[in-house]
Amino acid sequence: MNKLIIDGAEYQAQDDQTILDVCRQNGIEIPTLCYHPAMEPYGACRLCTVEVIRHGWSNLHTACTHPAWDGLEVKTQSPAVYDVRRTLMGLFLSRCPHVPVIQNLARQYGVTEPPFATDDPDQKCILCGLCVRVCNDLVKANVINFSDRGIDRQVGPPFLEKTRDCIGCGACTIVCPTGAIDIVLEEAGVYAEKPLGPTAAIYVPSLQAVPRVPVIDTDSCIRFRQQDRSNGKIADACGVCQTLCEANAIDFDQQDEILDLTVGSVIVATGFEMWDPKKLSQYSYGRSPHIITGMEFERLSNAGGPTGGQILLSDGSKPKRVAIIHCVGSRDHNAHAYCSRICCMYSLKHAHLVRDKTGAEVYEFYMDMRAFGKGYEEFYERVQEEGVTMVRGRGAVVDVLPNGKLRVKGEDADLGKLLAVDVDMVVLSTAIEAPHDADKISALFGLGRTADGWFAEAHPKLRPVETNTDGVFLAGCAQGPKDVPDTVAHAGAASAAVLGLLDRGEVVIAPTVAEVNRDDCVGCGDCLLVCPYTAITRVEGKAQINAALCKGCGTCVATCPSGAIMALHFTDDQIVAQIDGVLAWA
Amino acid sequence: MADLYRADVLISCLHGQSADLAPTFRQEIERRGMAGEVRVVETGCRGFCSVGPVVSIQPDGEFYVNVQPADVPEIVEETLVKGRPVQRLTYKEPTTRKSITKYDDIPFYGKQMRIVFRNTGLIDPQSIDEYIAVGGYEALGKVLTSMTPEEVIEEVKKSGLRGRGGAGFRTGRKWESTRKAKGDVKYVIANGDEGDPGAFMDRSLMEGDPHAVLEGMAIAGFAVGANQGYVYVRDEYPLAVKNLNLAIQQAHEYGLLGEDILGSGFAFDIGIVRGAGAFVCGESSALMQSLEGKVGEPRSKHVHATDRGLWDRPSCLNNVETLANIPVIMLRGAEWFASIGTENSKGTKGFCLVGKIRNPGLIEVPMGMTLKEIIYDIGGGPPRGRKVKAVQTGGPSGGCIPTSRLDLAVDYETLSQAGSMMGSGGMIALDDRTCMVDISRFFLEFLKDESCGKCAPCREGIKRMLEILTAISNGDAKMGDIDTLETLAKTVQAASLCGLGKSAPNPVLSTLQYFRQEYEQHITEKFCPSGVCRSLVAYVVVDDKCKGCGLCIKVCSQESIAGSAKQPHVIDQATCIQCGACFDACRFDAIQVIPRSQVELLPKQEVHA
Repeated sequence: MNKLIIDGAEYQAQDDQTILDVCRQNGIEIPTLCYHPAMEPYGACRLCTVEVIRHGWSNLHTACTHPAWDGLEVKTQSPAVYDVRRTLMGLFLSRCPHVPVIQNLARQYGVTEPPFATDDPDQKCILCGLCVRVCNDLVKANVINFSDRGIDRQVGPPFLEKTRDCIGCGACTIVCPTGAIDIVLEEAGVYAEKPLGPTAAIYVPSLQAVPRVPVIDTDSCIRFRQQDRSNGKIADACGVCQTLCEANAIDFDQQDEILDLTVGSVIVATGFEMWDPKKLSQYSYGRSPHIITGMEFERLSNAGGPTGGQILLSDGSKPKRVAIIHCVGSRDHNAHAYCSRICCMYSLKHAHLVRDKTGAEVYEFYMDMRAFGKGYEEFYERVQEEGVTMVRGRGAVVDVLPNGKLRVKGEDADLGKLLAVDVDMVVLSTAIEAPHDADKISALFGLGRTADGWFAEAHPKLRPVETNTDGVFLAGCAQGPKDVPDTVAHAGAASAAVLGLLDRGEVVIAPTVAEVNRDDCVGCGDCLLVCPYTAITRVEGKAQINAALCKGCGTCVATCPSGAIMALHFTDDQIVAQIDGVLAWA
Repeated sequence: MADLYRADVLISCLHGQSADLAPTFRQEIERRGMAGEVRVVETGCRGFCSVGPVVSIQPDGEFYVNVQPADVPEIVEETLVKGRPVQRLTYKEPTTRKSITKYDDIPFYGKQMRIVFRNTGLIDPQSIDEYIAVGGYEALGKVLTSMTPEEVIEEVKKSGLRGRGGAGFRTGRKWESTRKAKGDVKYVIANGDEGDPGAFMDRSLMEGDPHAVLEGMAIAGFAVGANQGYVYVRDEYPLAVKNLNLAIQQAHEYGLLGEDILGSGFAFDIGIVRGAGAFVCGESSALMQSLEGKVGEPRSKHVHATDRGLWDRPSCLNNVETLANIPVIMLRGAEWFASIGTENSKGTKGFCLVGKIRNPGLIEVPMGMTLKEIIYDIGGGPPRGRKVKAVQTGGPSGGCIPTSRLDLAVDYETLSQAGSMMGSGGMIALDDRTCMVDISRFFLEFLKDESCGKCAPCREGIKRMLEILTAISNGDAKMGDIDTLETLAKTVQAASLCGLGKSAPNPVLSTLQYFRQEYEQHITEKFCPSGVCRSLVAYVVVDDKCKGCGLCIKVCSQESIAGSAKQPHVIDQATCIQCGACFDACRFDAIQVIPRSQVELLPKQEVHA
């Protein structure tokens, strides 16, 4: 531990600290322009010059580069220091007369007007080298550097020509003390696949994220992007978050992992996707920023959303009239014939939020109000009491008017009249549908699907969580549209079914399963294609049946061209014997 | 073994038109059938630039000056065949016009003491045999076979040798720090990046005696514990690069470099790194950056290079002149070396004596010689009719010392105290036709171009100082500008990052110290008494003194002077460009410099060209 005296008071310092470190740590103000804690001190702006007295010798040194040696006496405000900083700020102000940072610093040292003639009044760069160092030392993109020397020194890419080596990370713009660097989108598509500009590559996904920890966006993170450029080799670039994280919690080596697990049962809970309202053009989705889906409304009204939870139009004003259209894509033979079951209730919630947050008039276009759950009807009544206008009838068309307003047309079935309402915002309560890649899951587990695309349960009334494949269960919207309480109940039932299996430890299966005579099997694979339970695999070129999966349906037995598969306890001989027996009795 | 010859023709001055001399000599000697008995050797620099090219004939030591290829047959006929000097080509003592035949008798060399340049001009730099013949590598042998590294360092410390690159750091101390620094790999670096305009000591040394540098480096390597050395030499010195490369190759062949030198087990190798000629690369940290292949920019030196230098390893960087002293110190002993020079500055120093002086050239004098002795006794004083006004030492970042202080003894301390510095050894004599504002401006112009631009005070400050100086010499300045100039100079001196910046204001500060009145005259009277700042002066003919000789008419490039023979001439002020050629040419002091503002007061005179 080193002891040194700064401005008359004693301070302690570590061996690797500089005078500037000690001063900053103890709240002693020293102006700097070329210093940044994430980079090696450079000592170019000389503004942090202080008087250092060592062994009785007094000298001016830069605090950013001078080690905090034991026994030093440092004066940060002596007349000699002030004079140097004053002259320096005069030089900087003459170079960059219109940069606020420079103006303010100069004023602190009593310089209000540039003492010398200015060559280029638009000059903002003070050649502190922070951008060069961040690009070369941290980002390791090595795109910009100094060229020429002395007073002609300037910063830029090689030959001051545009370069595609710039990854557009924006680190230089962040460290530049004078705002001399702008990132300009030159042509659409140059960086199409990567976001441009100072995007924080490490962030907490949303205020309500669980767990609430930051994630690294590898598409934006300089280190990962440099890794892409070095063909997968680990790039030692940037790593500022790791350097500065006191908890030492940053681990760049964490990767997505594929785990191989041997399990006895699987719960398929693959959920749903939102139906895309662009598929029906009458809703004009995409033609106005004010036609949004229910999901987008959720984001808008979320406290962690772009407006901090306020419901606003794109110009920042509050909407005065809002229409909410039910059954967009549901109960519609042009989209999905089924009822999505959740839209009525979330539409009512949206109506309530709009009323509550903006006081706007709300029009709900609905066909039937399906408030079937516990307490749902009461909520429906409450929303009606809040002054929401209920229009019974499908909102048929949304037009975008030339003045930007939206016109919703539909039929009011109660009045038997056609209706047109001009509103500022339209919320489309879009349908939910089975995920687009449900067919892959279906093939993987041998799951059936109903006509509407959801996975089929074993029995619609009596076995709602089981599937026809033993050990595979369904939970939530994978099986069909459900709201939150129904999903929780369904998932609970699926878990209980799995627990039942686990508790038993072993399963009893019917003895009528198919078996392959390996001598006769030619390995044609026809049985693999027809087995509805994915019970057959090819082992060493021949079919093999997993008896635990086989239901003894006999499809493979009937299909096998070489007659190599037989159903145990259900052989041709047994059937013929049964027939003979019946006939003999007769 | 080398063949034996009865005579050697030593040709120095290998630059410029003298390149033809050696081939001409060889042809002539061949023609006379003496090829087997007389040898022609191209040696290094003799330093006597004012009379070059010089040729000397050994073993008798005839010394011929201003030799042209046309003179060659006569020299061969008279000296080599008939054995008598060619009087016409010998050096003539300027005052008595007496002919001096032998090299040793010439006063230019009389007061000099050649330790560093002991061999330049006398041996063939491309032959290791010749270097060995004059005692070369004997010191390395002595060190490797009979001394420990500590003893070598002790000897260098006792000798009092200090860095010849300018700052004058004690060489022994530097070696000791490097030896004590932690690390397996250490380096010895020879700084041959001589950047001062008009300086060529290092160049002459590397061209004329490369082995002396290599031997010094090898001894340094042994002392500090390094097995690798680098010579950093600017690429503008192609002959130096060539001779050094050749010397390294020869030393390898003789086992004087490489593994197990002289059977001692000590290994040392030397590489050559060519610099691109940036002045700032003479600064040690910038030089090492450049050596590492980076842009040559200085960095803060709170940790010394002896601890963390090249590639962050302990590095001992010495000037080539410092290193060339080492073999002599090792052979003749520290006491002998310490007996030369002053209390704190031992040995000799090479200077490039240039400027308004009769005998410009490369000289080597013992420390402590006065500036007066150097300028007048060796340099021969100013040319006819001129007076020495000041001496500028230390290169572009040195300072000007006025005539009143010419009895200063030249050593590190006295020069710094006088506001100048030793530097690498530039010495420019300035006469009364030199404007001190202009000379500051000249050096700052150079420094503005050579500043690397890393730190703000040097980059921005030099530019602003130069602007003020330009304004002063154009007559656009006001009195307060001198104070601004001084403030700027002091800030640049105090706050700059490296030695270049810290010493950049020296030309301004030293001229302000000694010639402030001349600055003020520029501002208040709008007049440059030396006639250099053209915007401020006019040249007129003094009728009483003009003899009408017409010499000025001949030299005037603008045809601005008219006048008939034996009648006073007239200068047409409308076309005169104030070049001052007439002033310099006039033998009767009939041309006078007056302030520009007084031109309108002159009686109107018609000029008939």
